[in-house]
Amino acid sequence: MIQVKDLTKDFGPRRAIDHLNFTVNKGDVVGFLGPNGAGKSTTMKIITGFMAPSSGQASVAGFDVFESPIEVKKRIGYLPETPPVYGDMYVRDYLEYVAALKGVSKDKIKSFVKNSIEKTNLGDVQTRLIHHLSKGFKQRVGIAQAIVSDPEVLILDEPTVGLDPKQVAEIRDLIKALKGQHTIILSTHVLPEVQATCEKIIIINNGKIVAQDSIHSLAMMEKGQRRLQIRTRKDVLDMISILSSIPQILSVKEGSNQKEWEISLQGGDDVIEAISACLVAKGLGLLEFTPTKLDLEDVFIKLTYGQATKENLKNGVEI
Amino acid sequence: MIGILTIFQKEFKGFVFAPTFWVICFLLSVVFSWVYPIQLDLFAKLLMNYVMQQGVSVNQLNIHYGVFLRQVSYLNLMLIIVIPALTMKLFSEEKKMRTFDLLMTSPVTSFQIVLGKYLAAMGAVLGLILIAFVYPLVTSFLAKIFWGPLFIAFFGVFLLGAVYTAMDLFCSSLTENSLIAYVTSVVLNISIWFVGIGAEVVDSEAGRKFFEHVSLSSHLSSLVEGTIRTNGLIFFGSIIVLFCFLAERVIESSRWR
Repeated sequence: MIQVKDLTKDFGPRRAIDHLNFTVNKGDVVGFLGPNGAGKSTTMKIITGFMAPSSGQASVAGFDVFESPIEVKKRIGYLPETPPVYGDMYVRDYLEYVAALKGVSKDKIKSFVKNSIEKTNLGDVQTRLIHHLSKGFKQRVGIAQAIVSDPEVLILDEPTVGLDPKQVAEIRDLIKALKGQHTIILSTHVLPEVQATCEKIIIINNGKIVAQDSIHSLAMMEKGQRRLQIRTRKDVLDMISILSSIPQILSVKEGSNQKEWEISLQGGDDVIEAISACLVAKGLGLLEFTPTKLDLEDVFIKLTYGQATKENLKNGVEI
Repeated sequence: MIGILTIFQKEFKGFVFAPTFWVICFLLSVVFSWVYPIQLDLFAKLLMNYVMQQGVSVNQLNIHYGVFLRQVSYLNLMLIIVIPALTMKLFSEEKKMRTFDLLMTSPVTSFQIVLGKYLAAMGAVLGLILIAFVYPLVTSFLAKIFWGPLFIAFFGVFLLGAVYTAMDLFCSSLTENSLIAYVTSVVLNISIWFVGIGAEVVDSEAGRKFFEHVSLSSHLSSLVEGTIRTNGLIFFGSIIVLFCFLAERVIESSRWR
């Protein structure tokens, strides 16, 4: 559905994105992940036809975004970082305007608007001026305008920014509900959002793709690594020596005090069993013992900030 | 075509339902309600005493020159100041509020966006001119009026409004700041009157003719006196097309800048 080939964009001497290549299939929900300033929004703007690339190509449903922008724009619903709403318009009028602008035929506008108002739960505020709405509601109006023309492709730039936790959950449910009907690209730097909604992830840093895969395989990238959260009743002065008999332990980190520890290890359940046996034998008063797999957050930080750290160290900069 | 119509409707509604347009209408009618009766009164006094007054030009004894043309020139002065107030937000506000993103990612061309907005602003300008037209219309109950020259004079000032609107729309497309758009618009509206001054300083015949051709006042003066000349229409049309085209280029440039 969306194909991006060697996409590059320069802003003067600064290269915002650098030879991006990726494909999004029909019906996919793809999370576009990266720290601030990584080039997420720029990529999305190019795909929507808002901006032209410096070099490379992007196409949506077989239409090149620069050669036939109108055809592309007919198929895209876009929510920019700031919802593009007119403060002096009523919610319903605004959505009708957007629908007309997107080329929805006159007899269908009412039903399309009704549909998007229902999906985004805007029924109570549809006769109010957008100017008077809270930030969360404005964001929802922004999402409503993206889906009002029932586009094949939805591009959402940080859709849950500024919403309260309940609204965030609602928007996530909404995105889940839109799965299947639309191809969705979602940019964010909030990881649980991606985990909750997306099937595939593209991680981008400094304008380059550092990883693209399904969530499952990304989470398993550090294969076999596990982590243990431990809390004891007594203070433990030297956890490393206590566990020195177990060679599979990679690192031991002290938590907020000497009662809380975090242990990384390589291996399966047998190693965990050995650690628990060791701790119990010492009589430290084991209260909590939680094995976790490395999660997406670790992968993300490793792929993005981890790289920066290495580079900085190379240059002799301490961070 | 549907794109132009959609944007036109939205912007025109924006004018009609926003206070700015009505405040301008109100102020315009306050000014005319003050100035117009005074003009009319002066003209009536002149007619009563004209036998005693030597050397009054014959022109001044005609209501078209004595009253209506003065009103048209006041209207022109008002349009220089008020049209920028109507057009200043058309693009700058879109850019500032990021609603420009919506326009740029909708299946409409830059040309349709500019034309839709231009026509909407022209609708508002027409409203202002109709308000000014009410005064001669009421006068027709008191005096015999030749409608032809009057209509052409108001048509002339409408064309002038169309020129201002095109220039001011262009100014609005250049910036995110409405105030800057307003100031540059007013300066541009005023400065276009000074282009013709060149005719007085150049020596060569060809140069003088050139400046006379691009002088706004020479083209307007024939219109307000009731003569439609094709070269005048073409001149006004060219300025309108030029500035709409420039605005379209500025909008389009945001795609690749």
